[in-house]
Amino acid sequence: MWDDRATRRFFANKGASVGLVLVALLLLFAILGPLLSGHHPDHSDFEQGRDALGQLAGSSARHWLGVDHLMRDLLSRLAHGARVSLLVAFVATTISIGMGAIVGLIAGYAEGTRARSLDNALMRLVDVGLSFPYLLLVMAIGAAVGETTILTILLVLGLTSWFGTARVIRSKTIQVRSLDFIAASRALGQSTPLIILRHILPNVAGPLIVIASASVAQMIIAESVLSYLQVGLPPPTATWGRMLQEGQRMYTATPRLVVAPGVLIFLSVLGFNLVGEGLRDALDPHED
Amino acid sequence: MIGYLLRRVGWSLFTIWAVVTLTFVIYNVLPEDPARVIAGPQARPADVARIRTQLGLDQPIGVRYVRYMSGLVSFGPPPADAKDDSAWALGPVRIDLGVSYLKRKPVVELLGRALPPTLLVGVLALFVQIAVGAFGGVLAAMRRHSVLDWGTVALTLVGISAPTFLTGLLLQHLLARQLVWFPLDGYGQTSAERLHSAVLPALTLGLFGAAYYTRLVRDEMIGLLKQDYIRTARAKGQREWVVVYKHALRNALMPLVTVVGLSMGGLVGGAIVTEKIFRWPGIGSLSVDAIVERDGPVIMGVVLLFSTVVVLANLLVDLSYAVLDPRVRRS
Repeated sequence: MWDDRATRRFFANKGASVGLVLVALLLLFAILGPLLSGHHPDHSDFEQGRDALGQLAGSSARHWLGVDHLMRDLLSRLAHGARVSLLVAFVATTISIGMGAIVGLIAGYAEGTRARSLDNALMRLVDVGLSFPYLLLVMAIGAAVGETTILTILLVLGLTSWFGTARVIRSKTIQVRSLDFIAASRALGQSTPLIILRHILPNVAGPLIVIASASVAQMIIAESVLSYLQVGLPPPTATWGRMLQEGQRMYTATPRLVVAPGVLIFLSVLGFNLVGEGLRDALDPHED
Repeated sequence: MIGYLLRRVGWSLFTIWAVVTLTFVIYNVLPEDPARVIAGPQARPADVARIRTQLGLDQPIGVRYVRYMSGLVSFGPPPADAKDDSAWALGPVRIDLGVSYLKRKPVVELLGRALPPTLLVGVLALFVQIAVGAFGGVLAAMRRHSVLDWGTVALTLVGISAPTFLTGLLLQHLLARQLVWFPLDGYGQTSAERLHSAVLPALTLGLFGAAYYTRLVRDEMIGLLKQDYIRTARAKGQREWVVVYKHALRNALMPLVTVVGLSMGGLVGGAIVTEKIFRWPGIGSLSVDAIVERDGPVIMGVVLLFSTVVVLANLLVDLSYAVLDPRVRRS
């Protein structure tokens, strides 16, 4: 698993270091950004107007990145969007990884034993889950519930994304289970839950961490797609996807309303993907 | 082999049934009342009740479920009163997905009209993905540790990290607004126009997969080019391109086929966003509209179609494995 050599491999990887810096900057922006800008993200500043050509006010000492079409501070909205993105991504990933790990461990441990029907049932469930057009499901639930809250988004994203993880962890569990030390602890009379928790879980933690990192990136995309399609968090809440969608209409006049959230989405996803790949290479070095 | 085939087909049918049932339950237990949506917010309660009766929404959910499922696939000649027949017939097999609440047209007809545009973009995108993936991956693997390899890896990472709507907007801006090579959006009237308009959506939809498959083929090829039989082929004095394309790439295609089959779901999800950006009158736009309008029968039809495609793709991948690798059949 993780040791000094893995740490060294991780930091020797330029991409991983860049990713780590991106993620750190993003966290910093989400925490400090709203304080820095000093404006409420949903309040219009009516002292700002359009100029003779109808252009929105650009950057100034008062609004560092200018204002959007409703005269709201762009920097403040971007920072609040970062908070939403990160909160959704981290919590939904935790739900998804937790579900995937539990189902994968149980199915993998039950495979080929007397309880193999449990494994069969769980894997059928995974098959169904993977064939489900989740984007449609999310949108349908969002539209039908009417008022989409952050909790709806978290549950829907978390509960529809664990199927792939469960498959990976299951096959990893089957590998680990056949090792001698598992047979030994079973011979010593250790209970099944204890074996799974104490001996198998630590050995599948590596792939789990790698999946989690990639999953955060996927969740950032998923949340922004929902917001972009206007079935995510309702306005006036600032989310990157919705800001992009709203800015699109005035793209030719004020491209920054589209470019700023777009660049932030891209850099965040890139950061978490780079960290994920760095982790994968550090944990599982292919010799060459 | 026959037993394996039947078992796999059986599970596929079960999966489709489960997805359809789940969608039906989710859609029907939600608090939203379709009759209220159709009648509008100002409608009198009597009108809402009348619409509810007309659509059969006053029946208990069990009755509605049985009615929907029994109509779904049936056999036999069409009913004598063919006026409000909403089924699509293929010989004696009839598929009936009901009638759209708002468009008042059979769902099979709506799906049939939206399918060609989606297939056009989907097939083009798939072609882009596989062509770019196979070509770029081989190139990078052959020039290992070169600037070319490094650049390819960096580019694929960018491609994987850009959400579909970002690449779509970027391509639209660069190629349609700035350079005016392609139409901004829309479908077009003639076949030539349609093909021309399909380029940007197809590129958008294909970009993520292209990056992903390039990665996959590269990693796979690097492993394969180290194998003994490749060294043997080189030692025989075989030309390098024959070694790479005939001996190595052939073995890298199997995992590629697997991933292409398994990522059908992702392609479907991407199609929704892509069609929305380029105002493409396909299944994706149909589903977004249906969700916004709470058009239950259309939502059910789209989910059924999408999940069937995904399940069929998985089935084909499994069967191709069974054909190529005899060990699978016995398990």
